[in-house]
Parts: sequence; structure tokens; C-alpha cells
Amino acid sequence: MEKEMDTIKLSIPNKPEYVSVIRLTLASVASRMGFDVEKVDDIKVAVAEACTNAITHGANDEEGNFEVEFIVYKEKIDILVYDKGKGFIANDIEQPSISNLKEGGLGVFIIKSLMDQVEFIQNKEKGTITKMTKYVGDEL
Amino acid sequence: MSLQIKSIFSENSKQWNVYLDGEIDVYTAEKLKTELNKLISEKKEAIQIHGENLQYIDSTGLGVLIGIYKQICEEEKHIIVKNIKPSIKKLFVITGLDKVFKIVE
Repeated sequence: MEKEMDTIKLSIPNKPEYVSVIRLTLASVASRMGFDVEKVDDIKVAVAEACTNAITHGANDEEGNFEVEFIVYKEKIDILVYDKGKGFIANDIEQPSISNLKEGGLGVFIIKSLMDQVEFIQNKEKGTITKMTKYVGDEL
Repeated sequence: MSLQIKSIFSENSKQWNVYLDGEIDVYTAEKLKTELNKLISEKKEAIQIHGENLQYIDSTGLGVLIGIYKQICEEEKHIIVKNIKPSIKKLFVITGLDKVFKIVE
């Protein structure tokens, strides 16, 4: 049986003002897929966190673009954020505690909490791919 | 501008009331940081964030609040977050920040 999927690709300038554009695009795709409001909110935050990482840690080239892909399946969405730089450290995943409050580092923890599956893939010398998956239904 | 901030100091409750309208993300978080730093350099008092018109926040905004909190908690002042949407409250809970800031309805 063929896996039916649609792929949407965005190429976005490495500029903070565009992260909200990505959120909105993703929200509209996710709503179309039948995600409920709470899940759409989760996905918006997760994609923004990944894009923020790509812009602040990833981009070598401030004038360039980074890529975001949405792969739409019937039962789930895969979101891939490609950053071109040295990547970021994805090990900081413990829940922050009062004694070790950090201003940075929350983003990865939040992505892992909100999405059903998360992978950080080293893209050879070219940076990191953050791959996030959310299922439309509640099966896990 | 996707973030508007209005700040008023209350002499009665000795706290800054900060009304947020819009979204806090990587683009607008710096604006929030500048404003809150300005307030606490004027008066290092508690800050009450009014979130009824706050549509969105992520770790960039949470990070700003943490940074400000670290500065005022030495004077035993706190950050109160009032009237936030359930989806935003969820973020505070997931990150454990509901134990650091006071979340009120």
C-alpha cells in the first residue's frame, strides 16, 4: 500500500520576524489536517522553538535562508527544520529547576515535551535537522 | 508591531503592572526584555504580568522572565502572571515555571 503524503517546503530568511509567518503557515496546514486546537498550539510552539534555534545558533550566513518542510500524512505530520550552521547542543533536556534556572536551553526541552517524536539528525558538515512528529489522533 | 507593552506602577500594591498585547517570540522578546529591565532599574519591585491579550509565548519570552526574576528575587520580589490562556499556562507547567512564578487567574 502506498504511503500517501504531501510535502510542503518553505525557504525562509534567517530573520526573527519570519518565525511568526512559519507558525501561521503551519497552523493552517495542521488545522486542515484535523488537529484539535490544543495540538495546533503545541505544534506552533515546537516549530517556533526549532526555527529560533536555526536562526540564533544555526545560521552562518545572516543573509541566507533556512529550510522548513512539512510532510503531511493522514495520521500525522512530520516537520523538518534544516539549520546550516554548527548546530546546537541537543542534550539539555532536563526540566529546569529553581536552582538551575537558565535563560537559554528551554527550547529543546519544550519541543520534546510538546511533540510525539523528536529527532536531531546531524546533516554531515552542513548542520542539524530537527525532525518533529505529531499524531492527529491520540494513539502513541 | 506584534507586541505592545503598557506598564504602570501601583503605589498601593507596590508592584509593576505590565499589560502585554500580542506575541512574544524571538522577534519581540528583546522588546520585552528592554522594557522590564527599564522598569526594575527604576524600581526593583514585584512585576505582575497581565496576559489577557497575550496570544503567544515561547522559550524566548520565558527566558526573559527568568532573567528578570533572577534580578528581583534577590530583593525577595516576585513575578506574578495573571489571566493567561490555557495553552500558555501549559507551557509554564511543562517547564516547571509555575513553581517559580505565581500564576493566577
